[in-house]
Amino acid sequence: MSAVYSIFLLRKGFREDNRLNYLLLAVAFVLHTVAMFQRGFSLQRCPINNLYEATMFIGWTIVTAYLGLGAWPRLRFLGAFAAPLLFGMGVYAFILSLGVKQTTQPDFSGGWQSLHAALIFLSYGAFGLSSLAALMYLNQEHDLKFHRMRALFSLVPPIQRLELIIVRLLMAGFVLLTAGLLIGALALTPPPGTSYWTDAKVVWSIIVWGLYLTLLILHWRFAQTGRRFAWGAVGGFAFVLLTFWGFSLLSGIHNP
Amino acid sequence: MPLIVIGLSHHTSPVQVRERFAFADARIPATLELLRGSGVADEAVILSTCNRVEIYAAISGSAQQSMRGLQEFLVHCHDYRDPLTDEIYTLGEPQSVEHLFKVACGLDSMVLGETEILGQLKKAYDLALQHGCTGAVLNKAFQKAFNVAKQIRTETNIQRGSISVSSVAVELAQKIFSSLDDRHVMVIGAGDTSEKAARALLSRGARSIIVSNRSHERAEALAAELGGRAVHFEEWAAEFEQVDIVISSTSAPHYILDRTKLQPLMRARKNRPLLLIDIAVPRDIEPEVNFMENIYLYNIDDLQTIAADYLKQRKEEIARCEAMIAEKARALLRGRRPGSPPLSQPAFSHE
Repeated sequence: MSAVYSIFLLRKGFREDNRLNYLLLAVAFVLHTVAMFQRGFSLQRCPINNLYEATMFIGWTIVTAYLGLGAWPRLRFLGAFAAPLLFGMGVYAFILSLGVKQTTQPDFSGGWQSLHAALIFLSYGAFGLSSLAALMYLNQEHDLKFHRMRALFSLVPPIQRLELIIVRLLMAGFVLLTAGLLIGALALTPPPGTSYWTDAKVVWSIIVWGLYLTLLILHWRFAQTGRRFAWGAVGGFAFVLLTFWGFSLLSGIHNP
Repeated sequence: MPLIVIGLSHHTSPVQVRERFAFADARIPATLELLRGSGVADEAVILSTCNRVEIYAAISGSAQQSMRGLQEFLVHCHDYRDPLTDEIYTLGEPQSVEHLFKVACGLDSMVLGETEILGQLKKAYDLALQHGCTGAVLNKAFQKAFNVAKQIRTETNIQRGSISVSSVAVELAQKIFSSLDDRHVMVIGAGDTSEKAARALLSRGARSIIVSNRSHERAEALAAELGGRAVHFEEWAAEFEQVDIVISSTSAPHYILDRTKLQPLMRARKNRPLLLIDIAVPRDIEPEVNFMENIYLYNIDDLQTIAADYLKQRKEEIARCEAMIAEKARALLRGRRPGSPPLSQPAFSHE
């Protein structure tokens, strides 16, 4: 419903009040949270141990961050970009769930494993939301550049503030990803006969970490701002979205 | 007790006539007392602005007679002896109430939908209220007018958007920069429109103004007026690093700012967004500059097109506003106590 309403908002050039979309996503968030807790309690662990659960958890973190940012009315329009993405992720997770066999307890045990996974997925949520803010930036920036009236009519924040939001979300995501990876490297030990350095998912995670580090350094040190930076945020998350599942399937450790 | 209006505005009279009928603020209380003392009106409010002079009065006698009495009073007050044709208008109910509501909403203003008039109307009403010149009829009508103005503002687009070049410039800046508080503005060429735009930016919080003009004396004079700083025309590029908004209106026959000049300047500015407002004809800034990253260039045509679009949007809202106002006026008159029926005679006449 929110995704459909988002199309209406996009067509209207963000001139309508966005409370309804925020409310729809808040209701979805509550239902999703209840479902996730029930799943977690029934499995007696954090429900992020297969691709279906991971996809849904990334979606949940994106909505959580969106609901927080949406406290500022002008940032509620992020929901118009978030809803279609979340809908797509939901459909994809559903397809994945058809092939998922519920596994027994994961190889790693204890709180560190849950924390490792939760932090990393939270970072993907932050990266996801930053890419949505970047899409909003690109849309508004394009309208300003080409003198479209809807740039003035729309209720979205100034592009400079949007850029600041992108930077802060990327920073939050990067810190969470770094913490998650460090916990994985220091507190967890790989199963016998395996190594982190040969695991596809670990190598991929380091590539993602390097990619976002490069993006932030380019922004801070080499004044890469504006459109280029926004495209970087969109491209970074597109890379995560398009390769996450493939590398998870290639990984022996991260594909229970 | 019906409400009647008598007055003259930019619709009916030129400034040469309006200025002769204008009331100075200090004179209004005494005039109101005089008016009530004459027995023509029981309650009265005088609104005197640059675009209109109007008396709103609650009367107990015959409307036609009161209208005539008010006109004589107005003419006599200003010792106006020239012949009058259609300059002065008089309105009876319900048009008088609708007119009051329209004035409050800016629907009768020269700049359609402007909000300044609401403040002026409130001030005029407060002045009459303080001097005990209002009563049940005018109190109710004016309070309702302020409510209607608020409702119209929130529920329609009549006051949305900027319809002058300078305010469009401000609106664009607000869509680009997080805040105007710490923005530095540079004015190249001290023209009238650029001065207005600079003033508008300053009023919204821009931190500083740098003025550069071929005539340095003129730059210094404008900088002093705006509380800014003047720089020599040959040196404006040196100040560019800290500037966020440039308003250019020189009479140079060629571009003074092009891609080649801007590229190193943008690097020095660390690619921070830059809003360029080119109001010069012929243009001062090469149009291709708009294709550079983080630069937003608007020329005079772009600004005027935006202002015209806003005006068009406002005009499209007039019918909706008028329908709302007519309904509110009817509701107000229905709520009147028995014994004060609306006038049956023609409510609008030019005398």
